[in-house]
Amino acid sequence: MAATALNEADRKRRVRRTALLLTLVALAFYFGFIVFSVMRAG
Amino acid sequence: MSTVETHADPHHHAHDHHGPEKGWRRWVFATNHKDIGTMYLLFSMTMFFVGGSMAMVIRAELFQPGLQLVNPMFFNSMTTMHALIMIFGAVMPAFVGLANWMIPLQIGAPDMALPRMNNFSFWILPFAFTLLLSTLFVEGGAPAAGWTMYPPLSLQTGTAFPMMIFAIHLMGASSIMGAINVIVTIMNMRAPGMTLLKMPLFTWSWLITAYLLIAVMPVLAGAVTMLLTDHFFGTTFFSAAGGGDPVMYQHIFWFFGHPEVYIMILPAFGIVSEIIPTFSRKRLFGYDAMVYAIASIAFLSFIVWAHHMFTVGMPLAGQMFFMLATMLIAVPTGVKVFNWTATMYKGSLTFEPPMLFAISFLFLFSIGGFSGLMLAIVPADFQYHDTYFVVAHFHYVLVPGAVFAIMGAVYFWLPKWTGHMYNMKLAKTHFWLSTIFVNVLFFPQHFLGLAGMPRRIPDYNTQFADWNMVSSIGGFGFGLSQLLFVYIIWKTARGGVKATDKVWDDGMPHGLEWTLSSPPPYHSFEVAPEVK
Repeated sequence: MAATALNEADRKRRVRRTALLLTLVALAFYFGFIVFSVMRAG
Repeated sequence: MSTVETHADPHHHAHDHHGPEKGWRRWVFATNHKDIGTMYLLFSMTMFFVGGSMAMVIRAELFQPGLQLVNPMFFNSMTTMHALIMIFGAVMPAFVGLANWMIPLQIGAPDMALPRMNNFSFWILPFAFTLLLSTLFVEGGAPAAGWTMYPPLSLQTGTAFPMMIFAIHLMGASSIMGAINVIVTIMNMRAPGMTLLKMPLFTWSWLITAYLLIAVMPVLAGAVTMLLTDHFFGTTFFSAAGGGDPVMYQHIFWFFGHPEVYIMILPAFGIVSEIIPTFSRKRLFGYDAMVYAIASIAFLSFIVWAHHMFTVGMPLAGQMFFMLATMLIAVPTGVKVFNWTATMYKGSLTFEPPMLFAISFLFLFSIGGFSGLMLAIVPADFQYHDTYFVVAHFHYVLVPGAVFAIMGAVYFWLPKWTGHMYNMKLAKTHFWLSTIFVNVLFFPQHFLGLAGMPRRIPDYNTQFADWNMVSSIGGFGFGLSQLLFVYIIWKTARGGVKATDKVWDDGMPHGLEWTLSSPPPYHSFEVAPEVK
């Protein structure tokens, strides 16, 4: 029972971590392309 | 792909769990993947008819040469809005709806990993499309610069401009959240024993699609943000007068735009890979190769964007690179077509509606693929560019490609979702009407394009009159045929012959979704099944 609860908590942690990582990747693409365009225009 | 078996009680209904909420709260506050999947599919179908009615305006105007029904500005708005609505409102949400319904069932998960975000990503869409559609009523009319929104033309859009940009941001945010949810669910919620290479092909195709979405939707958002600042805040990202470069917009747009094409076709590959083995009564030929082929196509989609813009002028080395890289996509695509064919070879084939749509997909998508190869050849593309040949090409990929796969998926899984079997005769009638009319609609456009008819024009030379009339007749026929599709779905949802749990008992359906009852319990797989 304790192991299951631990697994569930572990899974929730992994879910949060993966979601956060993917959000950062998306933001990096968004700002990355804008920064690239600013640099190129400069 | 390994056999999936489950030790869990397939009819494990939670006796201590609540069912769905009653009334509107069930839908507005939905967190159940099945409810959200249903809403996505209904929204998508609504948008199919909204975008389809715009296509009818286009085909009615093009029925004869001369200006008949609408003014040229409104015609341009129709082509622009038709594309935006069909891509972002119809095809993409349909695949997200299928993903919501099927991914948790296929991997043995109780729901999507982030159910509240799932609700949010759906409910953004009605607002985004209300905003976009409301531009039809503002001063200056709806956006009319094409779905690509190339500057400087798109910067001349009137009041509709910021509304369009905001609507696209909303659609992008919705897609990104949906993609995050898919990846997080697949990576963290699979049943014990469900290794990546045991996942059904539909789930695999969506995993790869979701990565594409996360990489490219922010790029589109970045591009339209820069358009917005050029328009309102005095920047000159894409204005040569201020040191910017309008061609750079095209590079950025197509860095999003080409993977977007694959976002709309990879889940279709997954669907066809589910349907063909079922009705061939064989295992999918070359499962691993299929997975690697999808991944290869996704990778290649990032390095071919400039084939959309050969005519802007680029160094010979650039032309050669993008031409050859584009042609390279034919290799993994060929692997897929070969494997589907090999799956059917010596199979015990039957031709239920999902199989009919899958086979039609195979032939007609290949036509779209071949015309794509023709367009990849630089000197030929200089002739074909911006003609109706291009229109024929991408409609063959998207209609008998993506849309037929979606219809096939609906006919494949509808009995599982509703618990009722639909009327086979009506569904086959729908298939034949759709297949005949889609070819009457789009095949003549190849001839028009090769004869030199430009795209995005409301009037044309009389030499193009005959094939345009044929194409319009096909368009009206195809549009009307889809009313039958709505009737079949409505009738099946209301009742009918009870579907069995496996649904296709005579076929060979395999996958965890078929171990559940038809319809599946509101909360499925609360005890994770064990996959052998």
